[in-house]
Amino acid sequence: MGFVLLYPRRKTAFAHRQGIALPWAPALILLLSIAAYSQTADSEKPIPILTGNAGAFSFVSGGHNLIDTQINPVLLVPLGDRWLIESRANFEGQFQRPADGGPYGGPVTKHVDYAQVDYIANPYVTVTAGRFLTPFGIFNERLYPVWIRALQPDPLILGIGTTSSDGLMFRGGFSVNSAVNLNYTAYISATSIGIGSVDSERHVGGRLGFFFPGARLEVGGSWQRTLQDVRKNAFGFHMGWQPPKVPLNLRAEFARSVYGSGYWIEGLYRLGQMPFWQKQMRHAEVVGRAQQFFTGQVAWYNSPWSLPWANTREADFGVNYFLHDGLKAVASYGRQFSPLGNFNQWTYGIAYRFAIPLGPTGAR
Amino acid sequence: MTGRITNFRAAGWAVALLLGVLAFTVPPCARGASAAGPSAKKDAANATANPPVVKATDADAMRVQGELRFRANCGRCHAAPQKFPPRMMATVLRHMRVRATITDQDMRLVLFYMTQ
Repeated sequence: MGFVLLYPRRKTAFAHRQGIALPWAPALILLLSIAAYSQTADSEKPIPILTGNAGAFSFVSGGHNLIDTQINPVLLVPLGDRWLIESRANFEGQFQRPADGGPYGGPVTKHVDYAQVDYIANPYVTVTAGRFLTPFGIFNERLYPVWIRALQPDPLILGIGTTSSDGLMFRGGFSVNSAVNLNYTAYISATSIGIGSVDSERHVGGRLGFFFPGARLEVGGSWQRTLQDVRKNAFGFHMGWQPPKVPLNLRAEFARSVYGSGYWIEGLYRLGQMPFWQKQMRHAEVVGRAQQFFTGQVAWYNSPWSLPWANTREADFGVNYFLHDGLKAVASYGRQFSPLGNFNQWTYGIAYRFAIPLGPTGAR
Repeated sequence: MTGRITNFRAAGWAVALLLGVLAFTVPPCARGASAAGPSAKKDAANATANPPVVKATDADAMRVQGELRFRANCGRCHAAPQKFPPRMMATVLRHMRVRATITDQDMRLVLFYMTQ
């Protein structure tokens, strides 16, 4: 009996709900169709991308050959208008022939360079959280990828202040006036991890740079204070200059810490203006780099950073040839001078940058 | 109770009608402009309030400015890449905005230049 009484009531309530839902259904359909239409009509809405670079190189140092193969995938996932998730990993094999002969062998390592979430709060501030590349100087953040760097051997001072960070960072770039852009970073790394693939250091620091678009000149400085073990400061300066009328790219860094100090200066000249073999020359560039490292107050074996063991000088010269967009052949010669021994360093190889869309790319 | 239901039904039809009108009146370019960045939302709002009249000379000026900004910012670190499809380019530029701390305005002009 109760069932008989309840059933009509429930049916009536259902019918009422249907009556209310009826006009909302097309509203929902229209809303979804607008969202879908926005996705397809918007030709500039960012999509996820799998990009990165790969390379195969031969480093012959003092007669010993090291074959280095690596792939560094970068995943970029934009969310909405203001968010970006980005991550880069490094898979690298370094193979050498044993001293007593035999086949090449060696370790294959993997490393998470960064895995971060960026929130573009406004034109002046972007908030980054997670694991990020430490913005000390310019090489680590901007020039490190094998398809970007002009010479494949690392600068001697790269180890100073560039251990990965796990924490929070504020950064941004904006125009001060028509002649000057200011860029900055301020970060804190909260974890100290000793595991090789996700190593990090506890520190706080920042970088400030001024870019003069008219002269295409950038100058800036970095500072970092380690908050573990020996609480020490490191600081550095960087510059980059691309004269507007000459296809020249000049870059330099200086860094100083208790573990050592040094500098590198690099000049890259694109040969597109050569009056001969223009078809070939516009794909070629020559590069030279001079650098020096001085040991610091604390011995190298107490340093957590990868730095030379003695005062070292090095000069490198190289040629890069772009076979295709993102594909370049590299060759360089360098000589290193140090109390531990002088040696030649030959490098040759190939670097490739790839970019794979993970969604509809939009019409051209 | 019946009055409340009638009100809900009326509201539903009103929203459906409003969305229907919006679907056919809001220009797609204004809907999509928000993808370029936070400040582009303001541009989109302005574009909706003032119907966009994009002159060829404006586009040319933006293209020239975009190329200048491209060479000044991107050339600092690497050789000029090929032009990717527009939606890939938007992602790449958001990445580069963070990585290279380029300004919001530079990003939008370079995006315009690289997607032409």
